Amino acid sequence: MSDHKPTKTAASRPPRAFGWMAEFSDEHKLLEAARKVRDSGYTDTDAFTPFPVHGIDEALGIKPTVLPFIVLCCGLTGLSLALLMQWWMNGVDYRYIISGKPFGISPAAIPVAFEMTILFSAFSTFLGMIALNNLPKFSNPVFTNPKFDRATNDKFFLYVSASDKYYNRDSVRELLGGTHPDSLDEVIEDSSPANLPRPIWLGTLLLVLAGLIPAMIILNMRAGYSTKPRFHVFFDMDFQPKKKAQQTTTIFEDGRTMRPQVSGTVARGQLDEQDPFYLGYDPAKLVASPTPGSVKYVAAQAQDSKPADGAAAAPAAGTGPNLPWISELPIEATEAHMQLGEVKFRTYCAPCHGYGGQGDGLVHKRAEAVGGGYWLPPTSMHIDRVRSQPVGQIFHTITKGQGKMPSYASSITAKERWAIVLYVKALQKSRNASVEDIPVDKRKLLEEPTNNPK
Amino acid sequence: MSLKYDKEGIQLPEVWKAKAPVFISIGLVLLVVGAGLCLMTGQENAAKYLSHSYLANFIFLFSFSIGALFFIMIQFLTRAGWSTSIRRVAEIIMAILPWSAMLFLPILISLFLGNNTLYEWNQAPEAIENTVIRAKVGYLERGFFAARTLLYIGLLSGMALWFFSKSRSQDESGDPELSLARQKWAGPMVMVFALTVSFAAFDWVMSIDGDWYSTIFGVYLFAASMLAFFSLMVIINMTLQKAGKLQEFVTVEHYHDIGKFMFGFVMFWSYIAFSQLLLIWYGNIPEETYWYKVRLENGWQFYSYSLIFVHFAIPLLGLMSRHVRRHRSGLFFWACWLILVHWMDMAFLVMPNVQGGFPVVPMVGHFLGGLGMLFLLAAFFIFRASGTPLVAVRDPRLPEALTYTNPIL
Amino acid sequence: MATTASVKTQYNPREIDNTNDTPGRRAPLITGNQTYSSITEMVCRVAEDPQPTLWYVLFGLSSVTAVMFLSLIGYLIFTGVGIWGNMNPVFWAWPIVNFVFWVGIGHAGTLISAILFLFRQNWRTSINRAAEAMTIFAVICAAIYPGIHVGRAWLAFWLLPYPSLNLWMWPQFRSPLLWDVFAVGTYASTSLVFWYMGMIPDLATYRDRSKSPLRRAIYSFLCLGWTGSSRHWLRYEKAYTLLAALATPLVLSVHTVVSFDFAVSQVAGWHTTIFPPYFVAGAIFSGFAMVVTLLVPVRAIYKLENLITLRHLDNMNKIILATGSLVGLAYGTEFFIAWYSKNQYEGFTFLNRAFGPYWWAYWTMVSCNVISPQLFWFKKLRTSPFWMVVISIFVNIGMWFERFVITVTSLSRDFLPSSWGYFRPTMFDGLMFFGSFGVFLSLFLLFCRYLPTIAMSEVKGVMSSSAHSEHMQAALVGGHDPSHGHGSSHDHH
Repeated sequence: MSDHKPTKTAASRPPRAFGWMAEFSDEHKLLEAARKVRDSGYTDTDAFTPFPVHGIDEALGIKPTVLPFIVLCCGLTGLSLALLMQWWMNGVDYRYIISGKPFGISPAAIPVAFEMTILFSAFSTFLGMIALNNLPKFSNPVFTNPKFDRATNDKFFLYVSASDKYYNRDSVRELLGGTHPDSLDEVIEDSSPANLPRPIWLGTLLLVLAGLIPAMIILNMRAGYSTKPRFHVFFDMDFQPKKKAQQTTTIFEDGRTMRPQVSGTVARGQLDEQDPFYLGYDPAKLVASPTPGSVKYVAAQAQDSKPADGAAAAPAAGTGPNLPWISELPIEATEAHMQLGEVKFRTYCAPCHGYGGQGDGLVHKRAEAVGGGYWLPPTSMHIDRVRSQPVGQIFHTITKGQGKMPSYASSITAKERWAIVLYVKALQKSRNASVEDIPVDKRKLLEEPTNNPK
Repeated sequence: MSLKYDKEGIQLPEVWKAKAPVFISIGLVLLVVGAGLCLMTGQENAAKYLSHSYLANFIFLFSFSIGALFFIMIQFLTRAGWSTSIRRVAEIIMAILPWSAMLFLPILISLFLGNNTLYEWNQAPEAIENTVIRAKVGYLERGFFAARTLLYIGLLSGMALWFFSKSRSQDESGDPELSLARQKWAGPMVMVFALTVSFAAFDWVMSIDGDWYSTIFGVYLFAASMLAFFSLMVIINMTLQKAGKLQEFVTVEHYHDIGKFMFGFVMFWSYIAFSQLLLIWYGNIPEETYWYKVRLENGWQFYSYSLIFVHFAIPLLGLMSRHVRRHRSGLFFWACWLILVHWMDMAFLVMPNVQGGFPVVPMVGHFLGGLGMLFLLAAFFIFRASGTPLVAVRDPRLPEALTYTNPIL
Repeated sequence: MATTASVKTQYNPREIDNTNDTPGRRAPLITGNQTYSSITEMVCRVAEDPQPTLWYVLFGLSSVTAVMFLSLIGYLIFTGVGIWGNMNPVFWAWPIVNFVFWVGIGHAGTLISAILFLFRQNWRTSINRAAEAMTIFAVICAAIYPGIHVGRAWLAFWLLPYPSLNLWMWPQFRSPLLWDVFAVGTYASTSLVFWYMGMIPDLATYRDRSKSPLRRAIYSFLCLGWTGSSRHWLRYEKAYTLLAALATPLVLSVHTVVSFDFAVSQVAGWHTTIFPPYFVAGAIFSGFAMVVTLLVPVRAIYKLENLITLRHLDNMNKIILATGSLVGLAYGTEFFIAWYSKNQYEGFTFLNRAFGPYWWAYWTMVSCNVISPQLFWFKKLRTSPFWMVVISIFVNIGMWFERFVITVTSLSRDFLPSSWGYFRPTMFDGLMFFGSFGVFLSLFLLFCRYLPTIAMSEVKGVMSSSAHSEHMQAALVGGHDPSHGHGSSHDHH
């Protein structure tokens, strides 16, 4: 150990010595001296050079670094993370089809996996080097001597630390002196004040505080709420010069923003309007043998986009025109259609008409509860007038609406509407069935006590 | 200024010279047995298996010289010094290029005999069912094809022999001007080389599938050839050193550098192979994807998928460490491995084109044929190396090659 | 020998031709009998001396241009991408052309610092620092364009896979555009780390030469307290080598991924398998051209002719020639395969490129990219600073046009003839491309002024090791000991 014992008496104590530093003017002399020092048994040594001197590791007995293993591990971590991330994000948590490419891992996952491997490896290389070298370290006793400034320029320094177990101040001086250095100095403690200069300290503090301001503002905005109207940064994006449906305009003579169909054109799906499947009645028969009121009604339906007297043309509630209704269901009465009809009925019809079709849906109950008097109850499916209607007429009602009931043509496809008709017919039958309607082999179920609440 | 070295140490071992005819015979026997196995399948595709197997094995053999030629050109283009002591062995591999090229003659002759089992386009245009191939008969026509083939072989052989002769005359005179001349012409020749190899790859290999096309195909074959060449360099140099030759000329530093090149070209091959796969897979155009489809079904899928591991992942990890690259038997092992997977790769390019399932018996025959090609290669090498010093002893840059070290990696 | 402490800085105003190499005797890599301290002097002087007037003129012009660019970005964001010429069907127009152009430029730096390092091309040491800086500034310019092209630029962070409580979804990893985010992001950050790590020892030199305490404090902070300890150097060199080995595949992957943006599609002229290596070659080509364009004036202004010698420039020009020819080969291959494949769409696209409405762009590209670098076969032009700048500017024009040709011709004539169109750029397209040069040059000028322009420690290291290897060779052949000093450094391959 050092024979130079540091004393604790504060002001007058001599600065602590860390070891000896020899200065050389070229790398060959340095290497020679380093070998000599190594052969004398010193291990806590170091050399300071302006560039990496090759052979110095062997001359000083420095062991190879573990850095490559760290990098390999981090690289493999990056690779696994990338694959896991892509598999989970696109394969499990948020799957969507993009040009038929498989979810999760496919050749398309390779580029990102590769980049993440490199990213992790590169950063671990740099950070690993910094960490293994104990950097950053701004205060270092070797900086005390101004001569050392040339270690990054053109001089080569050999250093034997006082913490070496064989260190002896005088013998090390003698050993290094024997290598003919340009100069030989003892590395002593930096006596300048250790505190950060006040301006730097204050400046950093100010910067940190200033950096916190935006974060605080965002946090405040996220946590609280404001009653002020939104601040519009992109005014023309928030308020775009466009017209919405039902608005008026001065561009067209009729003042409407929604434009009627251009005459002589056929809109998508318009040709279906001549098909009984989409109408519920047979238009050919109507032309052949028109019934009173029906022609006018159909004409009014066809032009209902006009603002004219559509209301006048519409038939009064419950008194539809006598059209040549279809009496046979155009779809087959299968189990699948029945189920489809049930689903659609429960979705679109039951809110007003009720699950049983008795006109006691939730909307009705709520309307009774709040409004009472002015509320016209939904029609029950089980009154005679409805029961006697041909299937085509029920279909037509769903398609065009009746009274307060709107048209459902845009929300329910024709096939689904027919399925609803099928279901309604079944509902009607269920309320007015006789024992004869039940198949023979199922009749004995009636006698048995049942647990089924239905 | 002169270098002291053992004059015997740069000559081919005497015992080897006697082996060359034996190798030729073994090679030919293996080729014949392999061909027999290809034909013995008893399927209608027998002739196709034979012709495809021959082409794949020809490319396998030819690729070593292609790699060597490029390596030599680049050494002069970059005025490299490190490789001077191993350059002669590479030059010998390069100089057997005309001999290997002769093995393409059977294919050319069979074309003129009307054989269309390998190149579907070699028929009367009316007889070709595939309209795309029929549209190409102007280019893919046997006369024109043969002319182009001779041009490729002529250009490549000419350049190889030119470099070889300059190097040999430097052995006599030690004239640095000979180095400067090669330096000067290496540039233009690399351009000729790139064009030639790219088009040779399109004509010889890509056109076996007349309506498939991939612009990267030439680069793919080039990458594979370089990998094969560096692996062969390791094997030849180590074998020669084991026989007591080249002792002071080939150091661990050279193996280390060749090992780095092997590692680099494993990556480069994978990069090119992956680029081709990804673009075709992602584009999903039927005209292109079927090339992969035939390689990924009917038993071929195991073979093709295994390439990802044996040609990329395993050698990549194996060659990653500096210690492996500086370890003789370690590097020798990986060199043998890479030559084997290079053979597999060439078979992957050609054999599935026969269509149908994975042909076990023909593939065994194909493997024997590949082995036969390696024996021919060894024989060619011995013939070329007889009477030629194994080191360019009077190259002025030789001292550089003998003193350099690999600093870090 | 390198013992003389501070010599008067020497440089030879006349060019010394060190491009010829007698086989067996390497020509000096740096000229003018340099010592370790003279190298330090020469490089540090760039940052320590007052800047020449030209610096202020150039910085004034480029910063004004940069400010114009930034204001235009503001205008774009507040108005919308409609101010550009992007139209149907050319939705990808100048922004992506500029993006690919700048990313391509940004490839030379890492190539020089990583790939040439792995190939032990010691001449890289004089130019790698400036080239890396240029790389980073080019990538910054490149990243701007996709950022502002997304329309709502302030939401560009949605590209990152972060757990979002607002979106409840993840990015689409099967899209090459997202690969771009990862590739360019990784490339930018890794290049930055590589560049910074390389600068640490030189920043320590700057620190140790600082006269003012503030300057010393800043460089102290930046160099992390570097001492030049051999133990540190050992890990540092290992790290540098590892980074080089990592950056090499990375630099290839970046332009490969950029090429995937085009090539994974089915658009004729984009979907071709040679795109990855062809784009990489083009990137190196344009990057080196930009390095030459920048370094020739830099060496003249800062009198660095002895460090960045004719040999360095000659080597770079050879790489420009090689990659230019590779690019030409790729053009040819594409054209040939378009004809050979008998694919009518490919065939049409390539004929349309050469003889269609954009024939002028195509032939500009061919003449600048394929023909003009062929002039570098002449050594006179390869070693003439004036001509190499002229040619490299042509190369950069050509490479910009290459991306324009690829992007615009294929899109303007796609599979649906009814949607064909002719793209015309607007004034804003032009100004915003021009403006990016302002950002690029301003950053580069600041770099020259404040940071070490040449990797001093690496130049010194190469000087030392070449002298060593020459010594070894001389000992081997038993000849006379060549009167080598550290003054004549030689590169060995």
